[in-house]
Amino acid sequence: MINAISTLSVLALLFGLGLGYAAIRFKVKGNPLVDQIDAILPQTQCGQCDFPGCRPYAEAIANGEAEINQCPPGGQEGVDALADLLGVETLLLDEEHGETKPKRVAVVDEKVCIGCTLCIQACPVDAFVGSSKVMTQVIADECTGCDLCLPVCPVDCIDMIEIKPTIKTYVPTLKELVHA
Amino acid sequence: MPNINFKGGLKIENPYPSNEIDLIRIPLPEKVVLPMQQRIGNQAIPCVSIGEHVLTGQIIATIDDDRCAPVHASISGTVSAIGNHVYAHQSGLKGLCVTIESDGKDEWVDTSIGCTENYKACLPLTIYDKIRISGIVGMGGAGFPTHTKMRLAAGCKNIIINATECEPGITCDAALMEAYPTKVIRGVEVLLHITGSEKAIIAIEDDKQNSINELNKYCNNERIEIKVIPTKYTSGAEKILIKTLLGIEVPSGKFASDVGILCLNVATVVAMFDAVVENRPLISRAVTLAGSAIKEPKNLQVRLGATYDYLLSFVDLEEGSHKVTMAGLMMGVNLKGTDYSVSKNTNCIFIDKAQENVVAQECIRCGMCNTVCPVELLPQQLYWFSKSENIEKAMDYNLLDCIECGCCSYVCPSNIPLVNYYQFSKALYKKQTQEKTQIEKARERFEFREMRLERNKRERAELMEAKKIALKKKMAKDKAQKEKIDAALERVNASKIDNKEEDAS
Amino acid sequence: MPLWSELTLPKLIIRKKMQASFLNTKQIMRQVIYALVLGVGAQIYFFGFSVLIQILLGCITAVASEAIFLRLRGQTIKPSISDGSAVLTAILLAVSIPSIAPWWVIVLGVLFAIIFGKQIFGGLGNNPFNPAMLGYAFLLISYPLQMTQWPSEFLSITHASETIFGLSSIDGLTGATKLDYVKTQLMMGASIKEIGSISISQLWINIGFLIGGIYLLFRRVILWQIPISLLSGVVVMSSILFLMDSNHYASSIFHLLSGATMLAAFFIATDPVSASTTPLGRIIYGFLIGILIVIIRVYGGYPDAVAFAVLLLNITVPLIDFYTQPKVFGK
Repeated sequence: MINAISTLSVLALLFGLGLGYAAIRFKVKGNPLVDQIDAILPQTQCGQCDFPGCRPYAEAIANGEAEINQCPPGGQEGVDALADLLGVETLLLDEEHGETKPKRVAVVDEKVCIGCTLCIQACPVDAFVGSSKVMTQVIADECTGCDLCLPVCPVDCIDMIEIKPTIKTYVPTLKELVHA
Repeated sequence: MPNINFKGGLKIENPYPSNEIDLIRIPLPEKVVLPMQQRIGNQAIPCVSIGEHVLTGQIIATIDDDRCAPVHASISGTVSAIGNHVYAHQSGLKGLCVTIESDGKDEWVDTSIGCTENYKACLPLTIYDKIRISGIVGMGGAGFPTHTKMRLAAGCKNIIINATECEPGITCDAALMEAYPTKVIRGVEVLLHITGSEKAIIAIEDDKQNSINELNKYCNNERIEIKVIPTKYTSGAEKILIKTLLGIEVPSGKFASDVGILCLNVATVVAMFDAVVENRPLISRAVTLAGSAIKEPKNLQVRLGATYDYLLSFVDLEEGSHKVTMAGLMMGVNLKGTDYSVSKNTNCIFIDKAQENVVAQECIRCGMCNTVCPVELLPQQLYWFSKSENIEKAMDYNLLDCIECGCCSYVCPSNIPLVNYYQFSKALYKKQTQEKTQIEKARERFEFREMRLERNKRERAELMEAKKIALKKKMAKDKAQKEKIDAALERVNASKIDNKEEDAS
Repeated sequence: MPLWSELTLPKLIIRKKMQASFLNTKQIMRQVIYALVLGVGAQIYFFGFSVLIQILLGCITAVASEAIFLRLRGQTIKPSISDGSAVLTAILLAVSIPSIAPWWVIVLGVLFAIIFGKQIFGGLGNNPFNPAMLGYAFLLISYPLQMTQWPSEFLSITHASETIFGLSSIDGLTGATKLDYVKTQLMMGASIKEIGSISISQLWINIGFLIGGIYLLFRRVILWQIPISLLSGVVVMSSILFLMDSNHYASSIFHLLSGATMLAAFFIATDPVSASTTPLGRIIYGFLIGILIVIIRVYGGYPDAVAFAVLLLNITVPLIDFYTQPKVFGK
C-alpha cells in the first residue's frame, strides 16, 4: 500500500518536473496561432466581420472573442479551414455578416470619374492608380473585391464585375469530374 | 543501359482495327470555325474584321507573347463571324472563334517571307521565326509552340522523333508516315541542321510495319536511326520514351530540354518541314475517325476549323445515341454532341455507341494500379489523399508527376475513375497556390499601406515640429532684433533728450 | 468541402471510356470462392458434411447482418452485398473453425467479423483488420472449449446437423488436432520421433488449399509476394528451430502442412484490404506473418497461430507501407 502511494507520488513528481521544464525550454515565441489564422483569412480587409481588418479578426478568434464564421469572402471553405486548424466543430457561415459572393473586381467608369481621390484613400490594398483631378482606375490584379470603395465614391462610378471562368482559368470541381 | 521494356504501362489491343490506314484528302469545307484560344498561351486577338476577305495562310489572329504562335486562315473566303462558340474542352465552356465562309478558290497569300527552301544558309534564329509565324505547335496533343521548344533545346545533343502513336485506336501519324515518308526524313534533316546535333532517333512501335518499311526505304542518312520499340501503351510518353531510348531519366519537375534532348511528334516535324521548305503555314492536319458506331475507321487530311459534322459526312455512321470522345480513349475528353471544329491538336474523333454508365465501388486496396503506373507513382495513395482533399500529402507523393495516362483507371477492379481524382487534385493545388500568392500579395500591399499612412503621419508630425522650432527661433531672433532696436531707439531718444537739455541750458 | 456522403458509393458514376478486360471486384471474390472448393472437399472427405452446414449458416448470417447494417448506415444494399466480400468472410471463418462447433459459434463469429471487423469502419475497403481473423480471435478467446473440440471421424449429414444444433452430444467424436497433440506431447517431454508424423487429414486439406492457391496465382487474382513470403517465413523460422534442436521442434514440412498454413498463405493473408499495398511491403508483411505463426505455435498459449499473427501484422501495415514507398520516376 505504502509502496504504491510512494511510487505514484514519485512518478507524478518526476513527470511534473519534466513538463514544467518542457514548458519553459520549448516555449514558442510570439503567438503563432494568430499568424496561422491570419494565413487562412482572405486578406480582403473589408471589415465585414465587424473588425477593422483581417489581423484584428485573427487576434479576436485566437482570444476567443469572435466566432470563426464571420468572414464572407473566405466562404464556407474558409470557415471549415479555420475549424480544422483550431480543432473545433465547423459552423455554417453567418449570413448576418454578408453573403459569399463569387470573386469580383472593381472597375471605374472612366466617363464619370471626377478625380476626387476618395476611393484611393479608401482602398486597403492601394489598388487604385490616379491622382487629384486626374482620372482614377483600378489595377484588376490587385483588387480583392472588398467593396470598401463603393460607398465613398460621390458620383457612384465604381462597379463590381464578376470574374467569369474561361477555358484557360477553368478549375473543375470534384463533382463535375467524378459524377460524370 | 536503356531497357526497351519499361515498368508499368499496358498492352491494349486496338479497339478499332482496320486493314487500310490510307490518308484520304477530302474536299475543302464550306466553312471553318477557328478557335482563338490555343492550348498554350493567352487568347489570340483577331486582326481581321467581319466581312473582310482573307486568303489561305493569312494570319488572322496574333498573340503579344512571342513564345506563342499565331492563328492562320485555313481557307480563303469571307470572315462571317467573330464570336463565342463552344470549344472541344472538358469544361464545355465557350470561347472566341473566327468563322470564315469559303469562296471555293483556296487562294493563297504570299508566305515566302523569312527563310525559304535554302534553309541551310539561314541562321537558326531566322528559322525559328519562320516556324513561329507559320503557326507550328506540337501536334501530338500538347500543342506546345515548336519554335519555343526548339529555342529552349538549342545546342541539344539528341533529337527524338516520337512516331510511336501508342494510344490505342489512333492511326493518323501512321497514315501520315505512309503517305509522306520523304517529308519525315527531310524534316528530321532540317532539325539536325538547326540544332547541330549529331544524331536523331525516330522511335516507332512495332505494329506499324508499313510505316517502318516506308521510312527505311527513303532514309539514307547515317545520322538518322529508325528504332523499333515494342507496342505498349505509354511507350510514347515523352519522359518514358527518353528513358527507353537513351536511359536518361528526366528529373521530376524538369523538361527534356533541360537534359539536352529535343523530342517532337512526327506530325509536328512534317508540319515544320512544310513551313520551312515549302512556305506552308499550319492549316491542315490528319485526323483519325473511328468508333464502334463507325463501320470503317478512316484517316482524313482536313483543313483546320472544319466542323466535326463535315468530317463525319465522309464515314459510315450508324444511327442512334452516341458517345463522342476526342484525343483518344485513355487520355481524351468526353464531348457532348458534335458541334465542334478541328483544332491544331485534334488527332482523333471517336464515335461510339452509347453505353450504360458503370457504377464505381469502394477501393479494395488490391494495388493493381500501383503495378501499372508507368511513372512508378502510387496511384492508390494519391487516390486516398485526393478523396480527402489532402493536397499536401498528395504533393509529397509526387502528384504533379502524374501524366494522366489512364492506366490505373483502366485496371481498377472497382471501376474507380482514378485519373479524374488526380485531375481534380491538380486543379485544386493550382487554385490553392494561386489563392495563396494573391492573399500574400494583398497582405503585403495592406501592410505597406498601413506603413505608408504611418510614415505620412510621422513625417507630417516631424514637419510640424520642425516648423514650430523654426518659428520659435525666428520669433526669438525677432525678439532679439526688437530688443536691439528698442535699445537703439532708447539710446536715440535718450541722446535726443540730452541734446534738448543742453540746448535749453 | 464536400460532405463524405456525397463521395461514397454508389452515387459515383463514370462514363467508362474503355471496358477493361481485367477482373472486377465481384469476379475476384467469386474466383477466390471457387479456389476454396478443393480444400473444403478434402475436409468433407475426412470429416463429413458438417463444414457445409457451417458455411451455410455463416453465409446467411453474413448477408443478413451486412444488409441490416447498411440500412442503418443509410447506404443502398444491393451493390455492396453483390460484391461477395461478406460471403467470402463467412466461408473463410466457417472453414477455419471446428466443423462440429455448435451453430451459435459460427453465427456469433460472423456477426462479430461483419459488424466489428468491417461495417463500423465504413464497409469494404476501410477495415484495417482482416474480418475473418478478427471473428476467429473473438471466438477463440471467448469460447475456448468449443473452439478446440475438433472432429476426429467422418460424420453423416444427419449426425452432423444433430450435433451442430445441439440435439446430440459430441462426446466421443472429438479429438485434438495434430498441432494440438504435438504441442501437448512436447510439453510433456516427449520427443518428435515418438509423436509421429503429419496427420493424413491435415495433409490433404492443406494440399487442397495449396492447389486452389496456385490456381489463384495463375489467374492473377492474387499476387505472388504474400504467399511466397509467408511460406518462406514459416520455413525459415521452423528450420532455425529444427536445426537448433530437432528433438523438440517440429520440422518445416510439418509446419507447412498442418493447421491453417496454406489457407493463410493463399486466402487469408492475401486479403487486399488489410494487407500491405507496396510490393516490398507485401514481402515483409508475408514473411513476418510466417515467422510469427511458427513462434506463436511453439511458444504461445494457443495451438494454431494464424489469426493472431495476421492481426498483429495488420496493425503494422501503415508503418510498413510508409517505409517501403517505391522510388518515383525522375526523383
